[in-house]
Amino acid sequence: MAARKWLPDMGWRVDDEMQQMLRDSANHYLGAAGGPAHFRQVRTQESGFDAAAWAQMGALGWTGILLPEAVGGSGMALEGALTLAEEMGRTVAPEPFIASAVIAATVLGASDTAAAATLASALAQGERSVTLAWQEQRSTIGIPRFETRLQGGRLRGVKRYVPNWHPACALLVAATDGAETVVLHVDPATAGVTARSARMTDASLSAEFEFDDVEIADDAVMLRGAAADAALTLAVARGTVALSAQLEGLASALWHRTLDYMRQRSQFGSNLSEFQALRHRMVDLYSQIELAGASWRRAAKVLEQGATDAALHTAKARSSQIAQDMGKWAIQYHGAFGYTDEADVGLYIHCGLRWSTWLGNAVAHRREALAAHRRERHGNG
Amino acid sequence: MADDLNLLSNDEFRDRWRAWLTENYPEEWRVPIIHRLKGDEERRWHRMTYEAGWRAPAWPKEYGGLGLGLEKQLIMHEEMERHNCARVLDSGAILMAPVLMKYGTPEQRDRYLLPILRGDELWCQGYSEPNSGSDLASLRTSAVREGDDYVINGQKIWTTLAAYADRIFLLARTDKSVKKQAGISFLLADMDTPGLTVRPIMNLAGEDELCEIFLDNIRVPAENLVGELNQGWTVAKALLGDERIANGAPTLPRQSFEVLEELVEAVDLLADLGETDRCAQLFCDIEDLAALHSQVADAAIRGNINHAVLGLMKVLATDLFQDVSDELLRVAGEDAGLLEPVGVAGVKLDLRKIYMTARPATIYAGANEVQRNIVANMLMGPGAK
Repeated sequence: MAARKWLPDMGWRVDDEMQQMLRDSANHYLGAAGGPAHFRQVRTQESGFDAAAWAQMGALGWTGILLPEAVGGSGMALEGALTLAEEMGRTVAPEPFIASAVIAATVLGASDTAAAATLASALAQGERSVTLAWQEQRSTIGIPRFETRLQGGRLRGVKRYVPNWHPACALLVAATDGAETVVLHVDPATAGVTARSARMTDASLSAEFEFDDVEIADDAVMLRGAAADAALTLAVARGTVALSAQLEGLASALWHRTLDYMRQRSQFGSNLSEFQALRHRMVDLYSQIELAGASWRRAAKVLEQGATDAALHTAKARSSQIAQDMGKWAIQYHGAFGYTDEADVGLYIHCGLRWSTWLGNAVAHRREALAAHRRERHGNG
Repeated sequence: MADDLNLLSNDEFRDRWRAWLTENYPEEWRVPIIHRLKGDEERRWHRMTYEAGWRAPAWPKEYGGLGLGLEKQLIMHEEMERHNCARVLDSGAILMAPVLMKYGTPEQRDRYLLPILRGDELWCQGYSEPNSGSDLASLRTSAVREGDDYVINGQKIWTTLAAYADRIFLLARTDKSVKKQAGISFLLADMDTPGLTVRPIMNLAGEDELCEIFLDNIRVPAENLVGELNQGWTVAKALLGDERIANGAPTLPRQSFEVLEELVEAVDLLADLGETDRCAQLFCDIEDLAALHSQVADAAIRGNINHAVLGLMKVLATDLFQDVSDELLRVAGEDAGLLEPVGVAGVKLDLRKIYMTARPATIYAGANEVQRNIVANMLMGPGAK
């Protein structure tokens, strides 16, 4: 166990050896090639995706961190991926780490088909990114009943909010065959597939797919039935915890950036960091970041033990809320400069907008958490 | 107890403590949030636990305690919360004893520790004064050496349960010519010392737990000085360690939230979206504080925390206790204005008392504003004067 050395913190966050190694690796790579400059460069690209950076992350072992060793991954527990997510949040990394290396990788890792192994291997190498199309409606938390249908080898339906899409991205689709859930690999170039994409505030593209009688080969089906349901649920749950970690990393970095600015900006003869009203607000924001850090760590532990309860929801709710709140006060305490595109805090705020609302926003997750608690209370009563 | 509680697994330990509580804890004390044991009730509790081998979990064994690690101490707290036990102040074991162990003479320990264990003597803490609250070091009560005695003059205030205490430990100024922290000494006195009078102060919860103490030429023997002369500030600070972790526990918010959930159901607001969102916020606040508290406790067990986090959790826990008590009033509608405990839609509760019990939490044990200052100094460096 090593105390983390990136900032003078409250001491309770502790990395194991593997996490420390990953954090060092992340600090090293993202410190040199990531951060605001990289984000600015990626947001000018039409695809919202930097293939060279993704390949680098493949070489570092990040893209395959959750994939089995048999396909070239490192087969690690979730904790390692969460350390990376934290650091990516801290450096506003626009890479599809969560969509691809956490969510899609969890689905690929659960399948033993040749198609899955091929994609998994390409993902582990950083040659490709992969995304999972599961959502069909706005504000969906957890795996819904699918309307998208695979029948007689033809796929029909609409998928929305497909994250981190770009034309070279591989596409997995969750659907129903009328009796049970299926997960299939769909080539977006196939006749009948229409993609409409929209730019998100974190530089990525989110896509809506329409499948109009699309021909699907038998060997494209990777998972079905209970195995498909379990893999999808785990994938989205892991993605939700990872996103919570990433948001906490973002909020924490934004807090420190804001403090740095407050220390050098002087008004009325004092640095902003010396005014009590501002200091108390900063302490309260820091407290919320502490809660977020504790909350997603507990959620990760609960999830790795195979349980699902309110913890997942409290984590995403807390992280989403503090990322937005921290963003709001970061602008305020940077003054007019914080409102300019030139100030890097704006990049954090933009990423925070996307990440805090993807996979369920704070209000929705708070409701889910309370609902889980009330179900349990009733069960026990 | 025949065997060593430290050798039990956490689960065995928890089971054993839970079983003992179930068997022995007086039913009439099971009024969480509101009830606090005082006087003979508190003496009886200490005596019961002493005789059953559960007294003073944090004390080292050489002084007659259980010598339990922080983890098992926290288990005891958790089980008492689960069992809806009343609050206990226990100033003797929690506040006085650690000071005696660190700074007391062997004679002082021999004289005072056992009666604390047995529940024979209750203590109170005489720190705050009318003009020295958050700025404690500005205190003006004076102690002057005269022969073999110190003669103490001054006034203490907000002394919890002083009317039920047998002895008091207090801070008094023994040197006016030096920096304010450097001229303070730590002294002990019997509550029946001539010249010492206690006047209970009625508070907003309708209780007289807080007291004023007038010290009019009271004489205490010089041997009642704890630690060196003028080192009282350092002695008092010995208490600012890991034990403060209890101030950040989610116990009171969680117990109040359970009352809130009952009430929301009773008044048929379970499907109300506005109410649901407010309850959801409180639930998440409690759960996340619990997550932070347990992870900080784990780290503290490994000796790995920055103590500023304890003040930060105190702020979170006490603000949250108030938030939940505020919500209880909202849900109760007109019944929130009732002075006496009543049933609201069939749920028996004392809303005013919960609300008022939550008020001083943000003031005592270091006002939340002071806690924020301390955390800010740690995180951001010194502020402007």
